[in-house]
Amino acid sequence: MSCSTPGRFGTNTERLEDMALVEFQTGLGQLLRDQQSSDPLHGVKLDANEKRYFETLRETAGFRFCASIQRSWCISRAAKGAYFTLSLLPHVKRDALLNEWVDMGAGTQSFYDAEGESFLSFISERLTDPSHELSMCRFEQATLRANNGATRYTAPDPAKLASPDCVLRRGSYAGLVSFHVDLELLMHAAQNHEPLPPLSDDPLVLIFSPGLPQLWYTPPPEDLEVWNALESPASVKTLLSRNLTPETIATLLRQGTAEYA
Amino acid sequence: MLPADLYRPDSVAFIEVTPETICRQQGTGKNTAIEILPDLMELAQRTCDGLPMVIHGVELSIGSFHGWNDAYLKMLDSFQQEWPFVWHSEHLGFQTISGNNGATLPVGVPLPMPPTKEAAALVASRSDVILERYGVPFLLENPAHYFSDLPTDPEIEGDIGLLHSITQDSGCRLLFDLHNLYCNAVNLKFDPFQAVDRMPLEHVIEIHVAGGSWRDGFWMDAHDGRVPERVWEMLDYVLPLVPNVRGVVFELLEEHAARLGAEAIADELQHAWKIWNKHRTA
Repeated sequence: MSCSTPGRFGTNTERLEDMALVEFQTGLGQLLRDQQSSDPLHGVKLDANEKRYFETLRETAGFRFCASIQRSWCISRAAKGAYFTLSLLPHVKRDALLNEWVDMGAGTQSFYDAEGESFLSFISERLTDPSHELSMCRFEQATLRANNGATRYTAPDPAKLASPDCVLRRGSYAGLVSFHVDLELLMHAAQNHEPLPPLSDDPLVLIFSPGLPQLWYTPPPEDLEVWNALESPASVKTLLSRNLTPETIATLLRQGTAEYA
Repeated sequence: MLPADLYRPDSVAFIEVTPETICRQQGTGKNTAIEILPDLMELAQRTCDGLPMVIHGVELSIGSFHGWNDAYLKMLDSFQQEWPFVWHSEHLGFQTISGNNGATLPVGVPLPMPPTKEAAALVASRSDVILERYGVPFLLENPAHYFSDLPTDPEIEGDIGLLHSITQDSGCRLLFDLHNLYCNAVNLKFDPFQAVDRMPLEHVIEIHVAGGSWRDGFWMDAHDGRVPERVWEMLDYVLPLVPNVRGVVFELLEEHAARLGAEAIADELQHAWKIWNKHRTA
């Protein structure tokens, strides 16, 4: 048995003279990440022997099993991040969305929350507006975002509001969701895979903010007016000119619905 | 978290915590951070009620050529400040690669290191850095995997040779996962007891036992049920051979705990105690 060169290695069956650890890891990693690709080893510096090694490996039962585990874990992580929205969708659509997402190379993050928001954005672009499914999707997004902001949330100092030129915007961790049916009915339908009622003409609106004890509330009309006014950043002077009160503005700042721009 | 009445000194002598289960990831790319969630940390500490605690991490990716997960270590720095651990462990393997633009790309599953001198040297040097950083023993766990033909340097002599090489060249110690070895023995068709004899047993500090299940013709390290009888036999066989071992841990994923039930979990703990006492109190 011949000695190998430091930093290089060979297989049990055939010597691989020039493949370093980095090429092995990149090759194996890309084979697993890009299972649908016609050229998953693109960009990996491999000689003919090394390419043959990976081509052979790809056909082994062990690799195929590992690839099936990888794919099922990726699907499972994504599904956890959008649990209620996916529960409202027919199985065929649910599976198609998950497969499309994982085919893009997503679902690999161990912390599924980290990908949850982008997966929910991806789903929201593929849902009818308005629809119960889209409401649920935005509800999950808003909950996730507010929850992310809540862990270390501290209310900002309101002193700057005294200046009329102080500019505010919508809070980075805040969101507004419109429901076209009672929320409990919607959750019940999601959990029990029951048919959804028709869309109501009188939507229920909730605001989610990181500084609220329960993260959400039903906003009074004046709060909604501030939210709408902050569709793009606006100064305190502009808000006051719309007959919004300093107290309302300060409250929304304190709870994270608005923030300094 | 398992049923609270299992966390008693007459049931368990110490607790093993996977810190990622009480954390979340924030940010992306170089700004990625793993944050401890204060509520969950407080709940975990309260539940463990002063029992000694060891760490078993999953996110370090110690073998990734392009670099380990620095966010994991920063989180572990904070963790140690808040809740000091007796020792900590990680899996011998890699789970990230470098993308074209230098970004870290998670693969989505843990993968084994090839038994080569380059891999051994990389892991040994990183283990020593970790040992220095935390000042408590650092253990690496032998992984379960499904590859029969990993590239190999002849001098290293396979997966077990890789463990010998790393422990010889660093202060790293071993977490001997008997169920992982059992999986490999079943799937790659070798005798697990002969493999036990080849292990660097003097470096074993902790032992894992766990359950698994069949999927697509492979025995999977699923941590989803009771420990197979053959793994209990392996524990009985190995305990007299590991002079420095300090504990045995039964691993079970939280999502399977309710189905298995508190009584069955307590049974598994008692089974581990019985074998432990047979060899360690003699």
